[in-house]
Amino acid sequence: MATVTTEGTVGLGLRRVSASKAPDQNIKKSDQLAILVDISSCIGCKACEAACAQWHDLKPPLHTEEKLFTGYQSGPGLAPNLFMYMRFQEVEMDKGLVWAITKYQCMHCADPGCLKACPSPGAIIQYTNGIVDFDHSKCIGCKFCLSGCPFDVPRYDANNKPWKCNFCVDRVSNGLEPMCVKTCPTNALHFGTKEEMLIRANKLLEGLKKRGFDKAAVYDPPGVGGTGYIYLLPHGDKPEIYGLPKEASISPLVSLWKGPVKLIGSIVLWGTLLGAFLQLILFGPIKVGKKEKKEG
Amino acid sequence: MEDVKRLEEIEVERFSRFDRFVHWLTAVPFVYLFLSGLGMYSSKFSWLLPFLGGREFSPWLHKWAGVVFAIGVFLMFIRWAKDFMLDSDDIQWLSNVKHYIKGEEEKLPEAGKYNAGQKVFGWLVFIGGAVFLITGIVMWFPESFTPAIVRLSILLHEIAFIVVGAGFIVHVYMGTIGVPGSLSSMITGKVSALWAMAHHPKWFRQIMGR
Repeated sequence: MATVTTEGTVGLGLRRVSASKAPDQNIKKSDQLAILVDISSCIGCKACEAACAQWHDLKPPLHTEEKLFTGYQSGPGLAPNLFMYMRFQEVEMDKGLVWAITKYQCMHCADPGCLKACPSPGAIIQYTNGIVDFDHSKCIGCKFCLSGCPFDVPRYDANNKPWKCNFCVDRVSNGLEPMCVKTCPTNALHFGTKEEMLIRANKLLEGLKKRGFDKAAVYDPPGVGGTGYIYLLPHGDKPEIYGLPKEASISPLVSLWKGPVKLIGSIVLWGTLLGAFLQLILFGPIKVGKKEKKEG
Repeated sequence: MEDVKRLEEIEVERFSRFDRFVHWLTAVPFVYLFLSGLGMYSSKFSWLLPFLGGREFSPWLHKWAGVVFAIGVFLMFIRWAKDFMLDSDDIQWLSNVKHYIKGEEEKLPEAGKYNAGQKVFGWLVFIGGAVFLITGIVMWFPESFTPAIVRLSILLHEIAFIVVGAGFIVHVYMGTIGVPGSLSSMITGKVSALWAMAHHPKWFRQIMGR
């Protein structure tokens, strides 16, 4: 079962599978998909949020009078039934007040920490087009993906299964753009190949710089090999005001427990078993021997 | 010769009812924890999970087995920590452990009720049990702790698994085929006086009043 990724799964378009060897990619290559979030064009209307809930048939948590949540945001953060939400933050900057608005959801990392941390073969998959998805039928509910994720994205439901944005993989694989992109009224969301989106982002970046946002930058964190969601940030030197980590990467602790510690574990445990067996065949059980009987 | 025959027939109590109960209260959950943990620790052993009740059920039961295990280890600690204190003889015993492996116990300092190896394994279980419990609680409720603490806990849980797991393999080997007579002592509570004299001479003299 550890070998979910036999040759057959390449046909399904998988690039990486949790707890399994990555399938060979030489037969067929796919373009990487990406969504560019142009923060400078976003008006914070939350249409993408509504469209997301509508397409995925979700009923995001309601905030009742008993559990009131105030502010511009629909809620405090992601939830198992809220795959994406708009983040609003007021920040005092040199040139005055900045209203940092961000669309927040799974980033679809090229090197996904959730997939790396997952111990269950096939529970997390990355398609060749870069989309990272969960397969609940193979999920054992250990919650390790929470530790792997550098962006604090997966959310567990009452059935002990994690949820997150799946890049509308059902729509995308049928030639449609993701629901949030389709809905965005200001063209703040662009969908296409990663290559195209980077070119477009850099063009928009030039324009932004001309308008006086000299610190503007494209957010495509290299620590996770780049992401499927890239952001054009007007205040690119401070991604944290948008709720995005400045240096996003998989924790070295995760790499440690998935790498060297596993190797040491195999050596120690198999070595111990071998040692016990060698003791048995070389010296034999430690019996109450004939010696005592003779002495007696 | 007659003497030895007599000693072989004499039964002495090594483990009381409480001792045996506490041992198995810890051991039975541990076997489940070891196997289901192995299935979660290594993808090469994920096939174990369906045999332990299912891919979703076994990680769930792993947590509750852990609770029982922790209770068992706590009772063991109360019962045996005093007996497992190491003395200078034990240090000498450990540094010459090769004689024990070769079956030349007579070349080692005489053992009391527990030899130095057993004492070390006891501490491995006590300390490992505490690490398993604390990190296990963090892993059970990862949303209630900061990600750094959860990641560190998973790492420590794995290290404890490797160390205690290795000790467990040795313990099972010695308790069954490695040292004949050990398993029945943990089931019936009794060993022969000869067994006691051979493996635990100091304890033998104590109980025989010599």
